[in-house]
Amino acid sequence: MRDFTVLKPSSAREASRLLAEHGDGARLMAGGTALILALRQRLVTPGHLVYLGGVPAMNAVTYDAKTGLRIGALARHIDVATNAAVKTHYPMLASMAAQVANPQVRNQGTLGGNLCYADPASDPPTCLMALGARVLATSNAGEREIALDAFFTDYYQTALRPEEVLTEIRIPPLGDATGAYARFRRTEAEHRPMLTLGIVARRDGNMCRSARIVIGASTATPVRASGVEQLLEGKPVTRALLDQAAALVRSQTEVLSDFRGSADYRREIAGVVLRRTAASLFGVELN
Amino acid sequence: MDKCEVKLKVNGEEQEVVVPARRLLSELLRDDLNLTGTKRGCETGICGACTVLLDGEAVKSCLLVALQAEGREVTTIEGLRGEDGTLHPLQQAFVEHGGLQCGYCTPGMIMSAKAFLERNAQPTDGEIRQALSGNLCRCTGYMHIVESIAAAAKAMSGEAKAK
Repeated sequence: MRDFTVLKPSSAREASRLLAEHGDGARLMAGGTALILALRQRLVTPGHLVYLGGVPAMNAVTYDAKTGLRIGALARHIDVATNAAVKTHYPMLASMAAQVANPQVRNQGTLGGNLCYADPASDPPTCLMALGARVLATSNAGEREIALDAFFTDYYQTALRPEEVLTEIRIPPLGDATGAYARFRRTEAEHRPMLTLGIVARRDGNMCRSARIVIGASTATPVRASGVEQLLEGKPVTRALLDQAAALVRSQTEVLSDFRGSADYRREIAGVVLRRTAASLFGVELN
Repeated sequence: MDKCEVKLKVNGEEQEVVVPARRLLSELLRDDLNLTGTKRGCETGICGACTVLLDGEAVKSCLLVALQAEGREVTTIEGLRGEDGTLHPLQQAFVEHGGLQCGYCTPGMIMSAKAFLERNAQPTDGEIRQALSGNLCRCTGYMHIVESIAAAAKAMSGEAKAK
């Protein structure tokens, strides 16, 4: 690891000022679980590390029935997984957070840090995008909200400006919608998912009124499966419809191809995971 | 080289060290404090051999820079033994149930298990396996590790009852 100077801002705005001052030579660090690996491999070699550990009250998780859930960017995966309001109102988010990486990383890694790192082979981006989450970006100039749909721009790239700090994740109330999150790994021993899928749908029995479906980990950024959303909307979800949906997702998803899984394999798995997850959400018997 | 001062509590003892900003917690424990019970294995956050407790929660000490432990309490495998030298029930169970072969992963396994049993005193084998999902062992096949932790859980809840 190269040498660096550590700066410890006491607020997000001060962190933004430090980022602006040091430009490309500075990196933000929250929990550090991902950044420290990148530092050690010299993928990034910042002269200044802006450490957010001293910023107070940026890890609160609060819920309001009208405005929804607000998660401070420094809340750790374990904080999200064990929060009573998250478990009650967003069970798919709680169960996702309980599966991120491994127990030690969940005790240290933060939700905000995870989103900013924008590693495709990770759980939170897909799940949060399916939930319609937005993030709050804070800089010295002020604050702006960014929908997660527009936040992930490419492999490890986000829409954050260089001096912006992600301070909060905002998730709208689910209302009468229900959701499901699934992750696929080739073996139980893997810590990183090969494919992730999130569905949030409004339904009457097995009739789909509307659906947000997001696929990730096998794509450079999480993507909406809009073709499948349109296919399901306004129809009773049956086994035959799910077979069509699986075929559509196989043909329409632009997947990555690497040593963890070929494009053909990932496409096949996308169909399988979509079919199973949607079947369980809509109460469809597959066999 | 940019140095920083880190004050922390390790196994109940106040420590104050001046280290380069890039010093990892695992390096601080082993090289600055000579607590070599914490092992450095993969150093990429996978193997869990470097697991220690930070304010009672299991973390991988190769994934933190030392300054992240500023003002906090670290417990390592050296901190488990009783004042009279008796082994912690988890250590005792690993000895009795053959929970190790080469022993390199053992400190990490035991620290993960300690944090876990404090939150779940009567775990199922499945829960024990999940709790160890961030720790790799390349010798045992895990069976005896799981048995050791289950036995320690029994011994510890018996102890709690006796008190």
